[in-house]
Amino acid sequence: MVEGLTTTIQLASLAMAAWCLVSVLRNQPMVVPHLVGIGLLWLLLLGQGVVSAVQATNDTRPAETAVFVSYLATVILIPPACAVWGLAERSRWGPAVIAFACLILPVMMVRLEQTWDPTIV
Amino acid sequence: MSDPPATRSGPGRVLVAVYAVFALAATARATVQIATRFEEAPLAYLLSALAGVVYIVATVGLARGDRASYRVAVASCTVELVGVLLVGGLSVVDPAAFPDDTVWSRFGSGYLYVPLVLPVVGLLWLRHVARIRSSHVTNETS
Repeated sequence: MVEGLTTTIQLASLAMAAWCLVSVLRNQPMVVPHLVGIGLLWLLLLGQGVVSAVQATNDTRPAETAVFVSYLATVILIPPACAVWGLAERSRWGPAVIAFACLILPVMMVRLEQTWDPTIV
Repeated sequence: MSDPPATRSGPGRVLVAVYAVFALAATARATVQIATRFEEAPLAYLLSALAGVVYIVATVGLARGDRASYRVAVASCTVELVGVLLVGGLSVVDPAAFPDDTVWSRFGSGYLYVPLVLPVVGLLWLRHVARIRSSHVTNETS
């Protein structure tokens, strides 16, 4: 895992959540910039996923590989799944789904780091 | 007259997303626990698995939203509420019976008490949808 990338993802995710919550309050549906934002976030996650996978095949294996891999897969799946689900809703509740996804992502990243290295608490 | 709202539209869309994440979290957690260390706390891990299944059923029930799914959603939200209250209460009264946490332990404190709030919100939302639907029916017949 790349520490700096994790922090970047968490901050980007929170910024994205804040932006979506503003859209919810303004009663706006999901628009293309929202999708671009979640797409960029997803690219960062994919980057972290690829780096982690390469590291895991070398000597720095995560403590509980199965748990780590399932967390990583979930984290990577959440943005596209929420984007599709939110896009189907043409009201303020579309961005609300994205906001929820972007609020749980930083928490998931913390859990991901813990499963990678149990000494990090 | 517009179509009556489905349980998955509007705020229901967020509800389904939250339920889906909990379905995934509880099921995945139970799978790992049962696969790697079942003998440590069989009761807790089986309850985790049960919670996972109930969340999956609730997610599908809310997301589909036809008449049968509506009943399934109400039933699973009710089971969930009873489960979180029962397991939550037991885990406080008799912590020794739950050596490892489940989603419902201590009323879901490990998950920011979302497991306690979620079934209540779910049932309120289902009641709200039912009311709007019945008013739609009255308007159409009059």
